[in-house]
Amino acid sequence: MSDSLRPVPVPDERSAPFWRAAAEHTLTVACCGACGQPTLPPDVVCPHCGSTTPEFSYTPVSGRATVKSWTVMRQSFLPGFESDVPFVLVDVELADAPQVRMIGRLLDGEDPALHLDAQVGIAWEDLTAEVSVPAFRLMR
Amino acid sequence: MAIVGYAQSPIVRHAAQPLGALAVQTARAAIADAGLTVAQVDGFVGSALLPTAGAHASEDGVSIVTPEWLAAHLGVEPRYAAGFSGMGQLPGSLALGVNALAAGAADYVLVHRALHNPRGSYHGNPMTHAAGAQQWTAPQGFFGPVAMIALAYNEYLQRYAAAPEAMATVVAEARKNGARIPWSYWHGKPLTAEDYLAAPMINDPIRRYDCDIPVDGVAAFVLTSADRARDLPHWPVHIAGIARSQPMTRRLPLHWPLDDIMAVGASLARRLWDVSGVGPDEVQLPQLYDGFSPFVYFWLEASGFCGIGEAHEFVRDGRIDSDVRGSLPILSGGGALGNGRMHGVPQLLECYLQLSGRAGERQREDVDVALACHSSPHLGGAVVLTSEVV
Repeated sequence: MSDSLRPVPVPDERSAPFWRAAAEHTLTVACCGACGQPTLPPDVVCPHCGSTTPEFSYTPVSGRATVKSWTVMRQSFLPGFESDVPFVLVDVELADAPQVRMIGRLLDGEDPALHLDAQVGIAWEDLTAEVSVPAFRLMR
Repeated sequence: MAIVGYAQSPIVRHAAQPLGALAVQTARAAIADAGLTVAQVDGFVGSALLPTAGAHASEDGVSIVTPEWLAAHLGVEPRYAAGFSGMGQLPGSLALGVNALAAGAADYVLVHRALHNPRGSYHGNPMTHAAGAQQWTAPQGFFGPVAMIALAYNEYLQRYAAAPEAMATVVAEARKNGARIPWSYWHGKPLTAEDYLAAPMINDPIRRYDCDIPVDGVAAFVLTSADRARDLPHWPVHIAGIARSQPMTRRLPLHWPLDDIMAVGASLARRLWDVSGVGPDEVQLPQLYDGFSPFVYFWLEASGFCGIGEAHEFVRDGRIDSDVRGSLPILSGGGALGNGRMHGVPQLLECYLQLSGRAGERQREDVDVALACHSSPHLGGAVVLTSEVV
């Protein structure tokens, strides 16, 4: 596989477990150790219970989601997407954690049959042999 | 507290002079306009944000101008200088100035905003690694404010089955008014609805002319107390109330779900009407922020000028046409779309000019209460201004 020129995520203390699971094509959300509520991205203070020691654990979710919005990116301001434009980004609500909204590419071409509340499932884009980023595909 | 004078540079794509030189000139002109000397100005406030997602350097006096830099280059050692670091930079800076006057920290405050258009791609960013907050979005290709507003606007269009063509009315209204303003980048260049719709999509449903154009430009306003304002040459325009907002839900960077915008926007509006003692029905000149055109819908609805989900219908049939008697002239000053990327300056300037009776050929009758909005209702601010003390 030739490595993508797209920006590669740089894991940090809080996000490293997310990206380790992503490399194995498992989508996780950060759940607060104190209240159990999910958040993405994890904050330094739990946005739900206010815990200053949230000790997030990364819990696998199904990756099924509902489309709340989308855009067709005909121009990108980042390197590595030149040959990809136009591409579609979807803004989705996770079925297993409705508080959590994610944004990722929809890997169904540049003119998919999208509508409000369309159902999607998780897919993965492998940027390098070790780095995968979440994306989505329409459920049929 | 009142605005007692102003100055603004021409708004151009690339100024012949460095931004700092333009800022010093504009500040001196504003102070003179207020009937003051530079030595009398003892407070300086403003925001120095360079609103690009690109890799451009922020260099004080060159691509940004801080209040401290401006004071030093005017030769003033101020009693009070403060930079505003949030969004809704103009209402936020005004709040710093008003509070400094109220506290006695300064007697005459200069509020300035200096916007720069760097050479090269405005938002283009050569990043190869996405660290910090951007690791959650940039690797997927979600980056920059156009994609940000595209998702929020499409959520609106889909939820309310709104026709994208309705926005042509908003953009054409901004450009019609901007075309009449001598200092505007778009002076003499109105835009038809057909031209708006024919322009290319950037990130659907955002078209080219839904975005304001980056410019070089500086504006400055002088604030003082209502008592001191009586001795100055121009009719003072009073600040009746200011409210600001910030998102209350943890999200991905630049992710603005419509519900977040409207819930926090409604809270801002409640606080604004409460603190200023007026309501939306009393505002004759609401100048809504339009750096991206969908903000106009969001402010119309959040402020209570029309119902939730109704803005796309409200803007039709001449109801926002500044030339129609009885309309709601929300873009009479041309806004950002009709002037250039001057952030909240066109909104505040139009309120000031109309309320002080200094709008010249564009002077409107019977304007006593005005509203200047900036940024998004959930991440910005708004100011109520009046021609008399409320």
